[in-house]
Amino acid sequence: MNASTLATEAVTDRSGWQLSALIAETIAWEMRRDPSVLCIGEDIGRAGGVFGATRGLLDEFGAGRIMDAPIAEMAFAGMGVGLAQAGMRPLVELMFVDFLGVCLEQIFNAAAKIPYMSGGRQKMPIVFKTAGGCIGSAAQHSQCLWGLFAHLPGLKVVAPSNPFDYRGLLTSAIRSDDPVIYIEHKGQLLKKLSDFRNNTPIPDRAYTVPFGRAVVLTKGRDVTLATLSSMVEHALEAALVLEQEGISVEVVDLRTVVPLDHDTVARSAARTGRLLVVDEDYLSFGLSAELCMRVIEQIGPGALRQVERLAVPDVPVPAALALERKVVPGVDMIIDRVRTMAKGA
Amino acid sequence: MTEQDQTLRLERYRRLWRFRSFDDACLEALRRNVIHGELHVGIGQEAIAVGMAESLRRDDAVVSTHRNHFHALAKGVDRRALLAEICEKAEGLCRGRGGHMHPFDVENNFSATGIVGASLPVALGYAYAFHLRQSDAIAVGIAGDGSSHTGAFHETMVIAGAQKLPLLVLVENNSLAISIRFDQISPTRTVAERASAYGVRGMHVDGTDVDAMTDAFAEASRHIRAGGGPVILEATCARFRGHFEGDPEGYRSREERQHLRAQFDPLRLYRDRLEAFGLTSSELDAVEAAEKAAARDLLAEIMALPQPDPEGALLYRFSEEV
Ligand SMILES: Cc1ncc(C[n+]2csc(CCOP(=O)(O)OP(=O)(O)O)c2C)c(N)n1
Repeated sequence: MNASTLATEAVTDRSGWQLSALIAETIAWEMRRDPSVLCIGEDIGRAGGVFGATRGLLDEFGAGRIMDAPIAEMAFAGMGVGLAQAGMRPLVELMFVDFLGVCLEQIFNAAAKIPYMSGGRQKMPIVFKTAGGCIGSAAQHSQCLWGLFAHLPGLKVVAPSNPFDYRGLLTSAIRSDDPVIYIEHKGQLLKKLSDFRNNTPIPDRAYTVPFGRAVVLTKGRDVTLATLSSMVEHALEAALVLEQEGISVEVVDLRTVVPLDHDTVARSAARTGRLLVVDEDYLSFGLSAELCMRVIEQIGPGALRQVERLAVPDVPVPAALALERKVVPGVDMIIDRVRTMAKGA
Repeated sequence: MTEQDQTLRLERYRRLWRFRSFDDACLEALRRNVIHGELHVGIGQEAIAVGMAESLRRDDAVVSTHRNHFHALAKGVDRRALLAEICEKAEGLCRGRGGHMHPFDVENNFSATGIVGASLPVALGYAYAFHLRQSDAIAVGIAGDGSSHTGAFHETMVIAGAQKLPLLVLVENNSLAISIRFDQISPTRTVAERASAYGVRGMHVDGTDVDAMTDAFAEASRHIRAGGGPVILEATCARFRGHFEGDPEGYRSREERQHLRAQFDPLRLYRDRLEAFGLTSSELDAVEAAEKAAARDLLAEIMALPQPDPEGALLYRFSEEV
């Protein structure tokens, strides 16, 4: 479904909702539609999730399908695998993406590999829903890590940037027969829908947004800026400022890391001749290099005047605000970088 | 009460207030936007850390959690350096890199982690080092009731129990892990009773009673120093504030919170006891006022300090950069 076809539909006014409420509603719709969907996670029941992304679900679906888990991620991530093998469709919530370290085994050796190891006979319909990104809580609570999961074969990796996609991509994730790491941005979960720059109306019925389809959000001539998750909002803001200066930026929202739609990015970069990948994840061995390389492979090195990356420069996220601002990409950093690029070759 | 007793008790009372005033200063720093991230304070749980302080030696190790301020103070971490770190200052214990969840004091063998359960294997490492060096130092791994459910807890106890390592697992059971109630999630009524499964000693203490807590911690560390092997010491207590500052606390009522404060405030309880022992309220007031003023002054001084130089943001990733 594409956003423009929705413009004519009557919609409930959700503009005052927090994003997390939209996510809770999305899960509820899928749970009503399919009795094999269930959720496990810490604080998802009585508390409705630390961000409210499962609020109200315990009342509607009961403790069997909304299971409050102890802090035992290794066990309940693995339970997700067993439940999927038993024919259920678990959504396992891991509060912060940083905590996936304690249960990585079940994610990368079981969920990611079993479909292949079984010769395609074992389906693995499981969603690991988690929150990433920086909200000022230092090294162990500020990571994105989508590059890490993307590196491990067998996982689909999703990182939405706006309310419409949060719903559509989550619906796709729950309906997918593959394991999906669905990474929300902590800084967006409590944001009101009306406060998003990219604020497509949300229809009153379930819809899916397919994986692997990047979307061009602003048409531009000078620089192609590819990014995802909450950096998209920053990029849109930067593009507005740069527009005033006569620099026209084409912002591409990648939406998913696996599958990665390099094609859309390559087509844009072939036109603008300049590609900047902005990534809130670490710089090296990750999404930004992978995307640049694929684009170069597709259109050839001669088709681009400039290829650059802006990401966390391979350093743990520091506690102090002055240091954090230096290493985590923000609007000003994006503007500076695009400006320099546009002045260049 | 002997005079010596009286001095000791007054010192405990002073520490209780010192610790609470420290976290009050953190709350003030947060209100003034000096701290920009998550903050977990230990208000209501002071007596547990105060109970550790008298037994801990400099060569012992403490590995703490996201709620670590009091444990750091009990271990002898410098107050000023700790508060400066929490306030994201260049002069902080970790030069503003670690922040409130990640203080590291090498000289004092103190460290912490923001990952639940992850403190225990690290404490196990200290314990093994002490064992190899035939030292009688002990390693204290701190866990909340929530961390007692992690795989790390179990795996740590398996190794420590089998090798009789000098490990004290101190479980601060405030009966909540964010919203999750211990009695609704735990397969056992207490954490301490799981000790027998690992062949180690389990102890249970009222963690709001600073005297009982001090005795229990002293007993546990004596047992370990004498080669008796690990102890799981479970101290029950109450968390007065939200899990983190800003927690809407939808999982418990206002009445419940008020009840906890009224019934289980370790500072109030101790004051009542000391007054019953004959200490005067003016003596006790003076202790309280002095500690509050000291923390206020310290915060004022620290707030004036600069943040780290952003140009150094990439420093300290590797040893050659120190
Ligand atoms: C592995 C891991 N899972 C989840 C979290 C999120 N989290 C932080 S503190 C906490 C609750 C901890 O409860 P408890 O151990 O009882 O300590 P308390 O907060 O009560 O002091 C949770 C779930 C985390 N930091 N690490």
